[in-house]
Amino acid sequence: MKMEDMSLSGLDNTKLEALAQDIYSDLVEDACLGLCFEVHRAVKQGYFFLDDTDQESMKDFEIVDQPGVDIFGQVYNQWKNKECVCPNCNRSIAASRFAPHLEKCLGMGRNSSRIANRRIASSNNMNNKSESDQEDNDDVNDNDWSYGSEKKAKKRKSDKVFLHSLKQHIPLNPNSPRRSKSVKHKNALLGPKPCCRSGSSMRAVER
Amino acid sequence: FYWHCVQQHARFIERFGLKELLRAKLTECGWRDQLKAHCKDVIKEKGLEHVTVEDLVVEITPKGRVLVPDSVKKELLQRIRAFLAQHAT
Repeated sequence: MKMEDMSLSGLDNTKLEALAQDIYSDLVEDACLGLCFEVHRAVKQGYFFLDDTDQESMKDFEIVDQPGVDIFGQVYNQWKNKECVCPNCNRSIAASRFAPHLEKCLGMGRNSSRIANRRIASSNNMNNKSESDQEDNDDVNDNDWSYGSEKKAKKRKSDKVFLHSLKQHIPLNPNSPRRSKSVKHKNALLGPKPCCRSGSSMRAVER
Repeated sequence: FYWHCVQQHARFIERFGLKELLRAKLTECGWRDQLKAHCKDVIKEKGLEHVTVEDLVVEITPKGRVLVPDSVKKELLQRIRAFLAQHAT
């Protein structure tokens, strides 16, 4: 639609004024209709009378602004010291330690894959291509199950260089880091299924 | 031809924001709230479950037209005339 299509010059002043009035009433009617539609929708969707709530109900749900309590008035610290049962090892763990414990327990966190990779690297060094002495490795690996091993892991961060050369990943089975399977598949990537979840931890290691 | 002009202008009006201007002014001056209150009466009369758009339109639109404050009407007409004058040549 171009301006050339409209030749207003043909219209005299009275007609222009009438046109203006028509446009104006069009606009007003549009505003009215708009309101009607809005109201109708609010009625049908059930939120029309929302601001008519009585004072008492309003007070019941007033925002709470006290220390130690959230805006609904509930105490938010109470779950800090509760205990949870780990679904994997069935131990009772404190809530604030639960997430890191699960990481280790399921063998899914960045640290667990690092620890496992390190173990494999050291076990590879110890017995080059032989698959014997798995039980010896198992004794070394027992450290993983206590939090004390975290200190050892932190000290040996220089071993990170090792990890770069390893394309190893940790299968989801928590028992597997100790098994011979992980040594067998030393430099090969396993199939897609086990890869998926630990893929992110692998990427972190490769950085 | 005349109505053709009106129609064409309707589209231009949107582009020049006259609609938005009017709505803003009407909200500002309380026209909206007034009419909303009137809507409530209509709804209570017809029943929340049964009220239709037509019910509202029929009851509200005439009142809405009347309730527009003079100042708003004047300003809008001014703008429309100016707009038309601009494009009359």
